[in-house]
Amino acid sequence: MKLSSVKYLTKEGFRNTWANRLMSVASVGVLVACMVAIGLAILISENAKLALGNLEKQNVVMAYMKDYTWAFYSDNAKDAKPADSSSKEKADKNGIKSSDYVIHTKEEAELLCSEIEQLDNVESVEYISGEEGLKSMKEGVLKDQEQYFSFLDEKYGNPLSGAAKITMKNMEYFDATLEKIENMEGIDVVQSHGDLAEKISAIKNGLAIAGFWIISILMIISLVIVSNTIRITMYSRKLEISIMKAVGATNSFVRIPFIVEGVLLGVISAVLSEGILYFCYRVATEAITKTLGTTDIIMYSELAPVLFMIFVGIGIVAGVVGSAIMISKYLHKEGSEFAAI
Amino acid sequence: MSGQSVDITSPEANGKPVIEFKGVSKTYQNGTHALNDINITINQGEFVFVVGSSGAGKSTFMKLIMREEKANTGTITVNGFKLNKLKRKNVPLLRRTMGIVFQDFRLIPKMNVFDNVAFAMHVVGASGREIRREVSKALSAVGLGDKARSMPNELSGGEQQRVGLARALVNHPDLIIADEPTGNVDPNMSYEIVSMLTAINKQGTTVLMVTHDHSLVRDFKHRVIMLDGGRIVADNAAGGDD
Repeated sequence: MKLSSVKYLTKEGFRNTWANRLMSVASVGVLVACMVAIGLAILISENAKLALGNLEKQNVVMAYMKDYTWAFYSDNAKDAKPADSSSKEKADKNGIKSSDYVIHTKEEAELLCSEIEQLDNVESVEYISGEEGLKSMKEGVLKDQEQYFSFLDEKYGNPLSGAAKITMKNMEYFDATLEKIENMEGIDVVQSHGDLAEKISAIKNGLAIAGFWIISILMIISLVIVSNTIRITMYSRKLEISIMKAVGATNSFVRIPFIVEGVLLGVISAVLSEGILYFCYRVATEAITKTLGTTDIIMYSELAPVLFMIFVGIGIVAGVVGSAIMISKYLHKEGSEFAAI
Repeated sequence: MSGQSVDITSPEANGKPVIEFKGVSKTYQNGTHALNDINITINQGEFVFVVGSSGAGKSTFMKLIMREEKANTGTITVNGFKLNKLKRKNVPLLRRTMGIVFQDFRLIPKMNVFDNVAFAMHVVGASGREIRREVSKALSAVGLGDKARSMPNELSGGEQQRVGLARALVNHPDLIIADEPTGNVDPNMSYEIVSMLTAINKQGTTVLMVTHDHSLVRDFKHRVIMLDGGRIVADNAAGGDD
């Protein structure tokens, strides 16, 4: 096709959009409604993901180590008499030898922590010594029972072993990672909230599936709307199409102005949707921040480029596919057949 | 104007067939036998009236030439295109070799006169300069040089048909197909339109015109093909209404 034809047809597409402005406004209106709904679905889903991510970060795993305290309180270690009488190793006053436990020093504990950190699904690891653990426990959840722990602490010493405080990246691989940690040399037991991880993972999957369907359905609706608009436009312009064909227009010559029109409607709708969504989201987030005091909300600017690309994509796909589907129905008509449409 | 004899000299056909029907029959899906065993040749430079009552097969005859319909049997050749073998994608190429004038003018209401004529040139990918030059010439040729900016609804029926004629002429086709071009205009304008077609024909363009108007057939002495019941019942090369 010659450049002059392309220029003419593009111009025709713009001219037609204006000439059929009532229909254009109607389709832009419905397309904007669909796009805003898609945008809202994406924003809600992304914020839910952020909130769940934060929840995931709080779902820490405590891996207690086989250190002196473990040996002291462990039945095996406690009952362990000198295992090897030929050994020159001397037991301490509690009857515990260094071979009875694995983690002897803070350095060894930190080395184990860094080994855990090497695992694929591990986000971060922090070493919590027995003292720190006890302190935090006293200050934290068991505050009302402090005297009980003080009693233990005074009589037998701190009952808590040193531990690795582990945060995981993805709750989906929670169990597998847990198993790897449990099997590591120097780890006694792992304390976790596996059920929470499972629930978070299920919610995330549910959100992804729901999001996919909502967005897919809205995209199909957008496609149907644009197709329908173009069908009505083509119906009103069947005379023009019949003349085009009579004077020797190729199918692409007939098609291009309608496709330009579809794309133009899509792009206009995308720009309007982006603006409306920005305004609504800003108002909503300000209200949420004031009311709930939370700052765990995604900034619109973070998603704006992606949303705009999605909107333009929807608009262009809806315009091109919609017009292509509808035009192909009309392109097979000839002369007097147009009158019968 | 009826009864007036128009003195015209038919140009000599140069013998090269422009339209050739050989054993052509057309039956529609609903069982209507529109054309039966049509054999006819129209040579370059001829002016041919196609006449016949309603249902005689005139419209089907024209549709087959424009390749709006396909024949069930027989072969049709138009401007060198063998229509039986013509692929759908090449139909536009066939149509660009002909100019079509419709009974109902078929002007695009929202385009002015100039754009309605230019439209046919855009289809063939003409440049802006060519379009300006040729459209002006075509409009002058049909006497509407001063109406280029008028909208179709501001024109009389005759003027609208002349715009249709300009659109058919603007690409300099080898063949003009006029489907009852005088059906919606007054008798004076009918004569004017056929006179214009005759003038175009004198320059070598083949003209095929369907009409119901016996006075035109009688007064313009062109070849007449008469259809009845889907068959050619008369082919009078001398013309007239006999």
